[in-house]
Amino acid sequence: MVGFLLQRAGQAFVTIFGVATLIFFVQRLTGDPTYLLVPETATQADIEALRHALGFDRPLIVQYLGFLADLARFDLGQSVVQRVPVVDIIASRLPYTLMLAGGALTVACGIGIPVGILLALFRDSAAAKAAAGFVLAAQSMPTFWSGILLILLFAVTLGWLPPSSTGGFSHLIMPSIALGLLSMATFARITRAALIEEFTRDYVRTARARGVGPVRILLRHVAKNAAIPVITVAALEISNLLAGAVIVETVFAWPGLGQVTVQAILARDFLVVQGVVMLGALVTIGLNLLSDFLYSVVDPRIALGGGR
Amino acid sequence: MRTRRMLAGALLAACLSLPGGAAFAAKERLTIDLVGEPNSLDPHVQWNPDSYYVYRNIFDNLVTRDDKGVIAPQVATSWKQLSDTRIQFQLRDDITFHDGSKLTADDVVFSVKRITDPKFVSPQLGQFDKIIDAVADDARTVTLTTQGAYPALLAQLVKLSVVPKKVVEAVGKDAFNLAPVGSGPYRFGAWQRGVSVTLNRNDAYWGTKAAFPSVVFRAIPDAATRVANLMAGTSDLAANLDGDLAAQLKTSQRAKPVPVLTERVAYLAMNVQKEPLNDPRVRRAIAQAIDKQAITDGVLGGTEKPLAQMLSPAHEGFVEGIKDLPFDLAKAKAELAAVGPKAKQEIALVTAPVYDQRVVQALQQMLVDAGLSVKIEMTDMGSWLKRMQSGPDSIPVMAFSRWSCGCQDADGVLFPILHSASGWANAKDKAIEDALEAGRQTLDPAKRLAAYKTVHERIASEHFVIPLYQAAQMYGTSKNLVWTPTPNESIFVNRMSWKD
Amino acid sequence: MSAPAPSLPRRRFPLKRWWPIAILAVFVLTAICAPLLAPYDPNAQNLVGRLKPPGTASRSFHYWLGSDELGRDLLSRIIYGTRVSLLVAVLSVLLSGAFGTALGLIAGYRRGWVEIAVMRIADVFLSIPAVLLAIITVAVLGPSLVNVVLVLALTRWPRYARVAHAQTLATAGMAYVENAVLSGGGNARILFRHILPNIAGTLIVVATLEFGLMVLFEAGLSFLGLGVQPPTASWGSMLSTGRNYVATAWWVATLPGLCLFALVLTVNLTGDAVRDRLDPHFR
Repeated sequence: MVGFLLQRAGQAFVTIFGVATLIFFVQRLTGDPTYLLVPETATQADIEALRHALGFDRPLIVQYLGFLADLARFDLGQSVVQRVPVVDIIASRLPYTLMLAGGALTVACGIGIPVGILLALFRDSAAAKAAAGFVLAAQSMPTFWSGILLILLFAVTLGWLPPSSTGGFSHLIMPSIALGLLSMATFARITRAALIEEFTRDYVRTARARGVGPVRILLRHVAKNAAIPVITVAALEISNLLAGAVIVETVFAWPGLGQVTVQAILARDFLVVQGVVMLGALVTIGLNLLSDFLYSVVDPRIALGGGR
Repeated sequence: MRTRRMLAGALLAACLSLPGGAAFAAKERLTIDLVGEPNSLDPHVQWNPDSYYVYRNIFDNLVTRDDKGVIAPQVATSWKQLSDTRIQFQLRDDITFHDGSKLTADDVVFSVKRITDPKFVSPQLGQFDKIIDAVADDARTVTLTTQGAYPALLAQLVKLSVVPKKVVEAVGKDAFNLAPVGSGPYRFGAWQRGVSVTLNRNDAYWGTKAAFPSVVFRAIPDAATRVANLMAGTSDLAANLDGDLAAQLKTSQRAKPVPVLTERVAYLAMNVQKEPLNDPRVRRAIAQAIDKQAITDGVLGGTEKPLAQMLSPAHEGFVEGIKDLPFDLAKAKAELAAVGPKAKQEIALVTAPVYDQRVVQALQQMLVDAGLSVKIEMTDMGSWLKRMQSGPDSIPVMAFSRWSCGCQDADGVLFPILHSASGWANAKDKAIEDALEAGRQTLDPAKRLAAYKTVHERIASEHFVIPLYQAAQMYGTSKNLVWTPTPNESIFVNRMSWKD
Repeated sequence: MSAPAPSLPRRRFPLKRWWPIAILAVFVLTAICAPLLAPYDPNAQNLVGRLKPPGTASRSFHYWLGSDELGRDLLSRIIYGTRVSLLVAVLSVLLSGAFGTALGLIAGYRRGWVEIAVMRIADVFLSIPAVLLAIITVAVLGPSLVNVVLVLALTRWPRYARVAHAQTLATAGMAYVENAVLSGGGNARILFRHILPNIAGTLIVVATLEFGLMVLFEAGLSFLGLGVQPPTASWGSMLSTGRNYVATAWWVATLPGLCLFALVLTVNLTGDAVRDRLDPHFR
């Protein structure tokens, strides 16, 4: 176990390093931010002076070594656009992304899991079919479309919720719904599958034979076992949510890291992109590790890292 | 089940601890929605409209433009041309910075020197580098020296903010950026990164005091969301809308569209050194194939005005009476047919997402209708800017562009676009270059006008670029807000008020 | 007891379950026959007839479904847009599926450092934001439908690889595979004859889910300005620009939006039906 974790930690380090290097060079393939920072009327001399002051005229390998040196001192550098440390930008925007991801996960589970339970227990009822239809429909719309519809309905027409930005719990509701819509069906499917799988087990059949009611079986025995695949999927779904957050944050002006990523990429703010991507890599690798671990618990045929 | 409850609880706690400021516009606070948050509030370290919108209200400049667009006194009460290269300003003596200290000539000199210091590397350097010296004659007088006669000096000084020397030297550049101190009608309040910047009224302001005790500038990237906020009443002013979005506001009870013609000129940029545009017949056909009126009235909604020259009426150097070729599709087709197969080469119309894609598509279709083979090539803004300034050998054959120098002076527009000293230019026309140099070396308005008339006429006959229209900025405001926007796209909050 | 009444032959494809396939077939046919079905050139503009409601006319155009912000016939654009949505989705799923499955198979079968290398490279691609990949691809290779497919494939192949890898691990441990190895079967043979057929079911399930996602992602790329080039009609870009007209000209966004919705929904329903048939666990 410890050996497995150490091994994966080592691999994670290499992976993050690989991501950082790849992103470093790939970004600079497209040029540098100098042109985006100056007015149209700037002369070539002005542009060269700025490029020199920002260090973008040095050979790539020199820039890379400088980046590694800073990284070794845990210095993520300064945003070339906002002239503040990258760490400050990430630290101030990360909580919002976490809130949005949490909210979306709550919505997705809060609706998806009950629907899954419904589908597992009462497969052919009209309610189950309607619920299945609803979550499938929710997964079939782009978030920028459902987003504007939600805004028009709840903010402009009804006036119940604020249309965008942040400022209180009510501001989190619509973005969470818009993002959560995409994942409801996934949770419904996995919950239904996991429950049905459990229902075929012997201990359930024994309990039914002894006359224990289905709800009791569900709550006391099945839920625990079915939870593992659901959590496995949840770990992966978080990655999807974080990716989908980019568009939701833009539509709702939610100040999370998704917005930061898009804007920094477009503005060629290399160090901010670097910082956010490395953080994302850490999260992705962590979640994959968790999901691999859980998957091996579910299916003991899969050795955790040994050879044949 | 329990996990979910715990999660909900933590979430709730986190949300309730958020700053719970009133989300809805109150009479006391004005809410303005911009496309993005400022890059920085130090007026000298960036060139960025969203920053400009905000810090315009924190700092004063030597001169400003009034609502009609005429240069007016601000920190300077009067100025006198001592010679072709030296100009002397008299300053007000009743201006104090937000920390209470007086604004003196030393601060003005400091500000000029700071922004023109090559070591400071301000992106705006190119707009002020003709100022080679600044001297404080006494506490209320400043003399600026320029490199040769510089007719656009006052126009550029409209953008130079005065910062307090003592504060900047004491706290340093990074700290000043986080807590700017100016002398303007609003003082810096708070900056919630990624969300909003709040300014509070400066009650000791020397000039027109603002009507609102506080103003908050929010970052809302999506235009449809900005409109939704106006319609829901959660904002009072939104910038960067377009004609179609504004049409939605026409049906709203709470908000109205507020268009204003700006000093931005939209034009079709071309590389006339490349095939097939090196043939003047092809360029003439292009000029006749484009129906400018259809674009301004049909696509854009009517506020924009077609132009026959590369300047708007708001520019110094705009010459009345310049005429270009009228729209005539039949003649364009005939012209291209006469050129033959060479005109059928595929032309890439390079564009970036920030440009109005309806106009780009309309232009492409008009050119295709005339017989050219034009394909739209989308690229990101950084690449677009780099390619467009890369010199006559590699500038894209065709691009849709909008130009703004922020100075409302012909030199800031025509020189970079047409003079071979600039990376944007590819015309290589001696007559134009001589005229441009003449125009920037004399202070005599009549001589300048004559020089720029030459330039406009050469463009109208040779079609090195095709001026399209004077662009408009579309704001949306609450119906209760009284405000006249200006062509130089500055939002002066102290020039606004509520209707009652 | 009398003999049981003869029952109707049990139909393998009862219409009730498989109606989504019929709708999908309609989409595919529309895409193939677009030039025959569309009344006008989808790119023909009519600046005088912008934003006309469905059923109106302007100059020589009769707009059955209305016109868009440049006066182009919405019906024609929707018909041609079917091609883009289907092409992008099919090609990207095929590309990412083939590539990801192959890598995952090899990783799960060979194990050792091959497994580590492949799975960590998959992690690298999972960590890179799709937006970054999209912008860089567009900046370096230029924008086009092919490059949209490339971007989508590059972002999604790790998912197939992870599933293929996990499934291969599970299958490879099974007795009959070990027998095949012991009896001297070559690697390729084992992979193709024994392992692949077993994991194919799960992978097809993943592919059906991914198909719908690819349609939505293409729309997302258009929203960010990185999708298919204008003036090519794609439902995603029509939906994206149409958001600005929701209150004044609802048809510009809503009609392509409904088509997008219908396509993704039927794909997801088909996927569910396929899954039910293929994966015994999920019955």
